[in-house]
Amino acid sequence: MSTVVTLFLQRLRRDRLQMLIWIVGIGLLVEFSVSAVKQSYGDVAGRQNILELAVANPSILMLRGTPEGSGLDQFIFFDIFTFIAVLVGLMSTFLAVRHSRAEEESGRAELLAATPAGRTLPTVVTVAYGAVANLVVGLVVALAFVAGGLDVAGSFVAGSATAAVGLSFLAFGLFAAQLMRTSRGANGVAAAAVMAAYAVRGIGDALGTPSADHLHTTVAWWSWISPIGWAQQTLAYDKNTLTPLLLSLAFTAVLLVLVFSLQSQRDSGASLLAGRPGRMDARGSLSSSTSLAWRLQWPTVVGWCAGSAFAGILTGTLAHAVAGAADADPNMEKIMASLIPGGKGSLVQLFISAIFVMVGILAAACATQVIIRMRQEEVAGTAEQVLATPVSRNRWLTGYLAVGAASIILVLLSGAITSSVSALAVGDASARIGDSFAAAAAQLPAALVYLTVLALVFVALPGWTIGLSWTLLGLGTVFGLFGGLVGMPDWLRDLSPFTHSPVPVGTSTDWSGGIWMLCIAVAVGAVAVASMRRRELNSA
Amino acid sequence: MNTVIEARGLEKRFGRIRALDGLDLAVNAGEVHGFLGPNGAGKSTTIRVLLGLARTSGGSATVFGQDPWKDATTLHQRIAYVPGDVSLWPNLSGGEAIDLLSRLRGGTDNKAAYAARKARLIEAFQLDPSKKGRSYSKGNRQKVALVAAFASPADAYILDEPTSGLDPLMEGVFNQEIRRAASEGGTVLLSSHILSEVEQLCDRVSIIRAGKTVESGTLAELRHLTRTEVSFARNGLTEADLSRIPTIHDLALVNGRAQFTVDSDNVSPVLRALTDLDVKGLRVAPPSLEELFLRHYGDEILPAEASSAELPGRKARRRAASKVAGAR
Repeated sequence: MSTVVTLFLQRLRRDRLQMLIWIVGIGLLVEFSVSAVKQSYGDVAGRQNILELAVANPSILMLRGTPEGSGLDQFIFFDIFTFIAVLVGLMSTFLAVRHSRAEEESGRAELLAATPAGRTLPTVVTVAYGAVANLVVGLVVALAFVAGGLDVAGSFVAGSATAAVGLSFLAFGLFAAQLMRTSRGANGVAAAAVMAAYAVRGIGDALGTPSADHLHTTVAWWSWISPIGWAQQTLAYDKNTLTPLLLSLAFTAVLLVLVFSLQSQRDSGASLLAGRPGRMDARGSLSSSTSLAWRLQWPTVVGWCAGSAFAGILTGTLAHAVAGAADADPNMEKIMASLIPGGKGSLVQLFISAIFVMVGILAAACATQVIIRMRQEEVAGTAEQVLATPVSRNRWLTGYLAVGAASIILVLLSGAITSSVSALAVGDASARIGDSFAAAAAQLPAALVYLTVLALVFVALPGWTIGLSWTLLGLGTVFGLFGGLVGMPDWLRDLSPFTHSPVPVGTSTDWSGGIWMLCIAVAVGAVAVASMRRRELNSA
Repeated sequence: MNTVIEARGLEKRFGRIRALDGLDLAVNAGEVHGFLGPNGAGKSTTIRVLLGLARTSGGSATVFGQDPWKDATTLHQRIAYVPGDVSLWPNLSGGEAIDLLSRLRGGTDNKAAYAARKARLIEAFQLDPSKKGRSYSKGNRQKVALVAAFASPADAYILDEPTSGLDPLMEGVFNQEIRRAASEGGTVLLSSHILSEVEQLCDRVSIIRAGKTVESGTLAELRHLTRTEVSFARNGLTEADLSRIPTIHDLALVNGRAQFTVDSDNVSPVLRALTDLDVKGLRVAPPSLEELFLRHYGDEILPAEASSAELPGRKARRRAASKVAGAR
């Protein structure tokens, strides 16, 4: 028994900060969403309008879920529950893989397996620990809803549904850890399962049959094969039924039986699916430090491009609906205009621009990861081996800058192309193509500023690169994107590159901000490359 | 003789820590030079300076007569390097890493010759090149770096504790490759704290401690520093008999044998005296570098000193990380 306690406390000790951030973060997200919904959709009539729009538009149902009544509580559940479910799902899969496959891969599991704890007990403790973590998350979500003034019984149903999603994916994460040889592979499979569960229930919700008053929906069967779908079907604040969660528990139980039977059969460190062997020789293209940087980075770039493509599809398909909604609700135009500084133009153009600001942030985030990769190479010592060959430090850095710039362009293009194609697919005017590409091009300078400024940080303050990169991106996003909404002073907003991105709406677009940022990006990049000549390798 | 690597009064400070404190090093063309010192003596830091990965805080260093910091890229065309703590790209296979590093060095211009060398080395080191970098053990990561270093000929090989993860069989392969490299005219700087490998391979050695060179020369030149150990069966010899042997130190009688040490340049008169005593079961052991090392560090170096001079980088943190992991 004391072994169990020791292992449990060890997990807690290791994760305390990480789990605190997840749990508090999810709690705060609920809290903020509740107050935001209250503020924007305080009256029943407004909510009913939105819900009718939603029910008529499958892509909203796909993103959010199905509305179940026009009360404030029900509206909030409709608005945010699927997002919370995805977050809790990811939290649980990462937790599961972190304490199973990652431990085996690093060899730490072997240390433990050689003690009386054995091979299986650590997994049992991980299940217990993950279950406790999910119960806490469920409780925090329930209390956050209650604190927001929502119905108590419904809040606890929502909390239970949240915990059930977490448990399902805890089990799935452990299952993925049995399948895959590496923690990277297991995390990938498990996170993909979370996204698939979200997408599958999205299809079911979108294909559902709305009731006569448009306030309820009978979902299609797709929603009933997804752990997130089961949790939605508790219909919190409406029917408040916990029965669908039995499916979640059964799903969890079956997976856990599989996990333990697989684990008891296999060697420590082995996996059901063998790791793929690599190439004996390198492709001819892998012959420079720049091609190495691309080789290391492209999977990440593909990930950001997928995110951007998702945003692009949204833009293309929703732009049409927005145009219709604008005729019905003049308020919409005001909300859109407040999102885009100085934006005057057609509502559809504003909408496209608003979404492409997000795509621009994705592009900047992708560039940020390129710089972080460079720093990771330096810390790991692999950069040292490259720089001990006839590759100069500044050429090495320039290679990463080139990969960063290419990544930015790819992410933006991915958004622009999918937006254009999906607009054409829903029969929208081909004018959207120009709007999409203009909106994407407008985001290029700000993302390039991030790339080169962070490269300069890497050169001047190497030890700060990773922390400062995400901080600067986060602050830039908050100042630039939400600064206008919460009334931040102009000078604070002006610190963010995103504030200065051109807004290509209407007939005369002011591109000067973009041109200035391009100049700044090039100048800062040149300084970074020149200073790299004088910088030592610094792995500390 | 042509000096390939030369360092004079090399200094390197990391904040308050002096990693190098006036280090001298001279490596001649075509020789295999042992670079010896305990952990944290500054071996890796010196190597990083010689590769232009770190800048000196004082003193001078040249490689092939050029400044390793300023002329890094031209110099690196002639140098193969194996780091002490090899890390590989987790998602590149060993074979890919070898090809990449060789191509970056420009050593694959003659494709057929390169492919043949690579195949021979992979065979000799019994390396599986299709595994991903993340799944290699320490020894296999080292083999990847060694194959990459030897797969294309270089004028100079800078090897930082290259055998620390290899088993004895692989050490033999490594020794062969070093001899091959030297016979092709390469100059080798081989850092180590394992004395036996240096003893087998090196023409000359430099011994450093706390960032300073304490000894440098051929092994023969350094042997005067240690005493030869002599022992034989006592066979009823009295203390008085034994005391007639001239210039001996540390006489002791252990398990029916007499043993003592003698200055290595003063063995002949001792042998004459031993002949007179008609001793049986005589054993005369030449000093090993182990002893040489012990004499330099064994009685003076403190554990704290060893760790404080450690390069405050990857190695130190790795070690700390592995301690934490081990404690779990």
